[in-house]
Amino acid sequence: MKMTFKAFAKNLFGAKYERLQRSIFFCLIVFWGLHITDWKIQIAPFIRYLMLSTLTAGVMWQTLCTEENAARMQNMLMLPFDNRNFVYSYVAALGAYTIFTKTIILFVVLLSVSDWKPIEIGGSAVCAINAILMTAAIYSLKKYWYVCIPWAVTVVAGILLFGNTAWMLPPLIVSSIFAAIHLQRTDGYIFCSQKERKNYRVKQHRHFAVWRYLFRYLGCHKNYLMNTAVMWCVALILPYFLGKMENLFVVPIGFAILSINTPVCILLSCDPDFEQAVRFLPGQKKAFCIPYCLFIFVCNMIANAIFLCGWRNSITALMIVTAVFFALQSAILSVLLEWFFPIRDWKTESDLWHHPRKYIVPAIMLLIAAAIQI
Amino acid sequence: MGTAVLTVNNLNAWYGKGKMALADFSLELAERETAGLIGLNGAGKTTFMKTLSGLLPTFRSEGILFSGKPVSPRKQAFKRCRYTVFAEDHSFPYFTFREYLSYVFSAYKKDIPDISELVQGFHFGDYTDILLKDLSTGNRKKAFLITAFALKPRLLFLDEPVNGLDFQSTEYLYQKIAGYKEHGTVLFSSHILESITLTCDRVFVLENGKIRQTFEHGQMNAADIREALCYENDI
Repeated sequence: MKMTFKAFAKNLFGAKYERLQRSIFFCLIVFWGLHITDWKIQIAPFIRYLMLSTLTAGVMWQTLCTEENAARMQNMLMLPFDNRNFVYSYVAALGAYTIFTKTIILFVVLLSVSDWKPIEIGGSAVCAINAILMTAAIYSLKKYWYVCIPWAVTVVAGILLFGNTAWMLPPLIVSSIFAAIHLQRTDGYIFCSQKERKNYRVKQHRHFAVWRYLFRYLGCHKNYLMNTAVMWCVALILPYFLGKMENLFVVPIGFAILSINTPVCILLSCDPDFEQAVRFLPGQKKAFCIPYCLFIFVCNMIANAIFLCGWRNSITALMIVTAVFFALQSAILSVLLEWFFPIRDWKTESDLWHHPRKYIVPAIMLLIAAAIQI
Repeated sequence: MGTAVLTVNNLNAWYGKGKMALADFSLELAERETAGLIGLNGAGKTTFMKTLSGLLPTFRSEGILFSGKPVSPRKQAFKRCRYTVFAEDHSFPYFTFREYLSYVFSAYKKDIPDISELVQGFHFGDYTDILLKDLSTGNRKKAFLITAFALKPRLLFLDEPVNGLDFQSTEYLYQKIAGYKEHGTVLFSSHILESITLTCDRVFVLENGKIRQTFEHGQMNAADIREALCYENDI
């Protein structure tokens, strides 16, 4: 089991676990930075548990769904492996990766900005471990997803009802044990999801269209579409919060926030072969980058239009011009980042989605928004 | 040997600190010749093709000349004169072959010619409107090979083109490589000696990032090349 775990873990963390060291170092800096500011906010323990559980489960699910896993596991699955060891090692490696590279960052932020009791730190660890085991178990039960709903509801209800007391721990521990027992019997092949290959013709097009390519890509990656849809939902509710800030021209801030649409801004980084081919062909700055930029612009513009539709006060021509400017500017910056600084050496899709680079464009747009206000 | 179409002088390419892949690599390709590149795994064949395709930024050379003029592998002018079929290529998964072909021809600013003979030769007729991601390894390779032979660049690089192809397509590929002299120069790497001896005018034996030996047309036979490979690598 140790060897199998090592094989998976080294794949994710690097040969010398350098990713783990980097992550811990980054967390120490974040903790120290936030701690010296002495900035404190009141967060109820059950909210913290919910935040940690949701993030851990979400990232773990994304990691389990990563298509590259199938290629990595192929050889291991070919060997006469011990099923239980294989499943436990795989889930443990992915879980460790999720907790030590993603959950830990949120934990450190929460730890530094709110007051904790020692038992709550233990509670957080239980929440994270339960989220890992439960997500892996639910992933293996994908076909019977309806069975998992009561399970997930019970856990969330347990956190909501008993989250402020130690009584929250028993249901979570029971849930973890249940998930671990289920995983013991789970077939390792379930985690090796093969890419679906459809041997049917698509509608005949004699000529290419980059837009068609991008739409097909999003159509095959429903999670990318979902994220974009969520962003548009945010655009719908954002005016409610920003509308309360009177006497300020807050509309650009809204546009800046809405430019944080990760999936459509990483379409080169997420497909290294495609990126290589685009760079290899002549004239791609014009042939690929311009349509791609327009595609992001349209996505941003839809979000901005939804935002403006939700705006309670009157919409001026200046607001519309600002919306177009922010959508276009963020699209240009996103494409420039993808072209000159693509994200490389990522291990899971989650690394791409949560890469710090995603904050660069919104940060610049926020600065522009601030400049407009001044 | 005819006029040189490509001259590479003392090319050094590396991947990381101390990870030299090509060291003082020099080569000259004549106009309208078919040249083979052979060597053990890790000898530097793919690195050379990647460097000339503009995909490896970490290289230094005393000069890369195309038709006697210095060029940079990343510049448009040189890009428009060459095309590479990579050993493994999963690019443009959401284009069909027809769309990919149209995309490439648009990038090279050329009109798409009649490709029915190529499609038939590679037995690819049933797959032209299927997304590249849904094709098998061999059929994906065929898609890129058909594009290459339809494009007819002055310089064609083929990295292990035979891998993944069925018997009939392999035979057809040999024909196309041997007949490419009408359009330009082909440099292709292979581990299969037969593919080299059947098609090439010259063969370069690569070892540790350097060309160790060159076989000209008259002196080329599988036994000699095999011996050279075994000798150079102390096998």
